[in-house]
Amino acid sequence: MTRKITLYLVLLCIVSLVQEFGVSRMTIFRVSPDIVTIFLAFIAVTTSQKTSTSFGFAAGLLTGLLTGNIGLNMLARTAGSFIAGYFHTPITSHATAKQKTRRFYGAVIAAGICVNAVLANGSNPLGLSLAYRVFFFGLLESLFNLILAVILNRLFLRKSFAD
Amino acid sequence: MSKLFTLFFKYNNWLLFLLYCSIAFLFMRLQDHEMLAKLRTGGIEFTSVINEKLMSFSSLFTLKNENDRLMQVNTDLLSRVLSLETAAVDERNRRKILADTTVNASGFIMARIVDRKFSDRENILVIDAGWKKGIQKNMTVLVPEGLVGRVTSVSEHYARVMPVIHTDFRVSVVSDSTSNMGVLTWSEGRESIAQVEHIPISSHLKLNERIVTSDFSTFSIRGIPVGRVIRIKPDNLFYSVDVRLAVDFSSLNQVLIAPLKIEPEKIEISSDTTNN
Repeated sequence: MTRKITLYLVLLCIVSLVQEFGVSRMTIFRVSPDIVTIFLAFIAVTTSQKTSTSFGFAAGLLTGLLTGNIGLNMLARTAGSFIAGYFHTPITSHATAKQKTRRFYGAVIAAGICVNAVLANGSNPLGLSLAYRVFFFGLLESLFNLILAVILNRLFLRKSFAD
Repeated sequence: MSKLFTLFFKYNNWLLFLLYCSIAFLFMRLQDHEMLAKLRTGGIEFTSVINEKLMSFSSLFTLKNENDRLMQVNTDLLSRVLSLETAAVDERNRRKILADTTVNASGFIMARIVDRKFSDRENILVIDAGWKKGIQKNMTVLVPEGLVGRVTSVSEHYARVMPVIHTDFRVSVVSDSTSNMGVLTWSEGRESIAQVEHIPISSHLKLNERIVTSDFSTFSIRGIPVGRVIRIKPDNLFYSVDVRLAVDFSSLNQVLIAPLKIEPEKIEISSDTTNN
């Protein structure tokens, strides 16, 4: 377990850097996908709500350091991971790969909306209305995240959700 | 107490979440704290350094486009600089001409030299003033330094000028201090040297004497500087005199055109041969 956690921590650092220096530049309609949220959703589904919440906190600290808004990012990621934790599938469960995958997608959408809502409440760099930021940007970002999650699932995560 | 522990274990997820949220709020609250500010500054520094490296790396892929873009910008800037520099030079020359006290420029027309041909086929100057600006054939073209030439043909907006350094050009001149009369000509050779003909051996022409246009000229007003005597060589009846021209034709760009000298009575009496 410790090995797994260490691996996830290393991966979290890499994912945060990739998000900050790569993915965040790929904006469509002023919105970019968030691979940190996808990764946190994956952790939430495969480990536990507690672990994912802690990872969310760590991810918030990392992304906050990189973006310059530590507190808000910590809050947003912690909340997103906590919400994603509700989609956790215990190892003992008899869920099929398809069900696990669906739960993973659900976690991605829920965490994405939550993270976006908290961030939208805390900062408004474009000067847009809160409703617009929460609903339009939140839904759009969740959609992008979902598309990316589907691609990543097909490419790398399928084994993790195997029966 | 056991109930409290049960509650704690039952809702430990929530408690952990609340703990993290509290820390996050604390961070938000203490945002301006020195330590957090240092952390933030360090993060921004790190991000900026990486971004700079990434930008320089990614710029390698767009180097050609960037090069083309810069070339375009360079071209635009160059054309602007050239245009401004030309305007500045024109303005400087205009002011120089207007400021010159030896020339009363009030009745003069100012023009810019737009073309110059000094070849074996043609030797002319083209100015950007034509009959629309009042230019007429045989008007004197000059600059404060001296005589440039005479207008030979005029169109609506342009005029051709025969310069002093043309083999067909003739103008009556007079030496400044000894008042010796002669005719200035130019024979093919150096651009800055002309000759004065018909100065008799008996005259007392001196070296370095100033030569100006005389009143005998049919087109030029008198007193326009032409040059200075640099060589006097006696011939059979006349001196062979070399004059260094006052005007540097290689750097001419703005000229004045003097009003036409109207002396019909003088022309009439000069050409009248009946009462010889």
